[in-house]
Amino acid sequence: MKLAELQSLFQAGVLSGDEEGADVLPAIKPSQRERRETLYGVYVNAYRLRLDEFLNEDYPTLRLLLGEDAFHELVEDYVAANPPRHRNARWYSTALPDFMAGSAPWKDNARAVSLARFERALTDAFDAADAESLPIESLAAFAPERWPDLSFSLHPSLTLFQLEAGTVDAYEALSAEEPHEPPPPQSGAEFAAVWRSDAEPVYRQIEADEYLALNEARAGSAFGKICQMAAFQQGEALTPERLAQMLASWFQEGLVVRVRDEEG
Amino acid sequence: MEKPAPLGCGLGLRPVYYDEILATRPPVDWFEVISENYMIPGGRPLAMLERFRADYPIVMHGVSMSLASTDPLDFDYLRHLKELAARIEPAWISDHVAWTGVHGINLHDLLPIPYTKESLDHVVDRISRVQDFLKRRLVVENASTYVSFEQSEMDEWTFVAEMAKRADCLLLLDVNNVFVSGFNHGFDAARFIDSVPVERVVQFHMAGHTDNETHRIDTHDQPVCEEVWTLYEQARRRFGNVSAMIERDDNFPPFSELLDELARMRAIDAKIVAERARGAA
Repeated sequence: MKLAELQSLFQAGVLSGDEEGADVLPAIKPSQRERRETLYGVYVNAYRLRLDEFLNEDYPTLRLLLGEDAFHELVEDYVAANPPRHRNARWYSTALPDFMAGSAPWKDNARAVSLARFERALTDAFDAADAESLPIESLAAFAPERWPDLSFSLHPSLTLFQLEAGTVDAYEALSAEEPHEPPPPQSGAEFAAVWRSDAEPVYRQIEADEYLALNEARAGSAFGKICQMAAFQQGEALTPERLAQMLASWFQEGLVVRVRDEEG
Repeated sequence: MEKPAPLGCGLGLRPVYYDEILATRPPVDWFEVISENYMIPGGRPLAMLERFRADYPIVMHGVSMSLASTDPLDFDYLRHLKELAARIEPAWISDHVAWTGVHGINLHDLLPIPYTKESLDHVVDRISRVQDFLKRRLVVENASTYVSFEQSEMDEWTFVAEMAKRADCLLLLDVNNVFVSGFNHGFDAARFIDSVPVERVVQFHMAGHTDNETHRIDTHDQPVCEEVWTLYEQARRRFGNVSAMIERDDNFPPFSELLDELARMRAIDAKIVAERARGAA
């Protein structure tokens, strides 16, 4: 048997999870001490245990929300549908929220899908690309009349969400030192931002206007346009005080890594 | 054969010990890191690695180069590895005589191969191509295995020695893996060690494993066992002063227990040096 064929058979047995019926078994030498099915089973079992461990590590509050049995079923479904393709185990669990959103019965649990998205963003923020945050004093380099033309680059760790209402409360209840039952699901949406600050993932619930403004800022829109968009989308004019407060908080929270004067 | 200078007695750098290492600056000569854990965009892991690198020699040890796979070499992976090496300047880069998957899948395990001429040609060719790409000699480790194949045409040690010679690579002798595979396949671990070419070995791995009575599994979650310490002494006598380190990847003990194991390693080294000095006198 050629090496390529042997490797195909070996892998197929690991993926199927059936060490007893694996087609590779006749190629394996009998051992004096143990059945070859058991020895081959070391690889078959290790595969599942390892992926289970990756998912448990990355989604601890989702696991609490669903309960052990349902989370185990989710892991089995996900592993069966998503054999790992990346060299780095770090990325194995990344597609779990999208898998849940597209697969029965998980897609019907909107709160669980939403919590999975939030939890993934926290993991992603942890090792997202580095960028030096600018202090708010950097704004002083620009005359106030230039502010409408300023555009910003935001920290690469930033994820902006529209989540199921109550997701952040659920996360906080389940990630507390003594995890407790989250408040019941609510209808509607909530908005949140996740990013990294001082090497740790952080998050903040935000209002709909700030969600829009941050999305616009990240797309590279000038601050003047962001103000117009936010006002238009909200159907009312945003006060200059509100916009100034938002911009100040973006700097204070380390979200702004570059300021550009589009006209200057 | 030109070999990198020995680094002394080291440990695997694991996040659970970061704070203690930074706070206490323990007497560890060097650290080995799992390359893939730092092949990420940014954040705390890379920042910490750079802090440790400022104070200690670092070796990059990979687990997914998949040197024995019949899939094409993954040059995206190798490019990222090369970028990390440019940033960290490791003493060397190592990976395993193993495959991790085919058909684009990665099973996140070090899988066994039959020791055949076909496998040998294949692995030698891939090590050579990786060395050309990385522009450095690769250090290649013997893996623990739980099954062997009917079609094998040679012993593992013959395969490893021939591979190193033909690919002109260096070797990482995992003493625990020799013991585990020897137990599982019924070969004499001492004979394996005595068959590995001295001039190629630049590093030893030491680790604990799980004893399942009928077979042993390379779990890195136990202290090094007595039989493996005995083999270590044999290896040290044969290979002389090469870098050695202890891997611990689960069931993490207090850091002081790993330092105790390093002290035992140093005591064995010192005993052999003293014996040789007496013999020369």
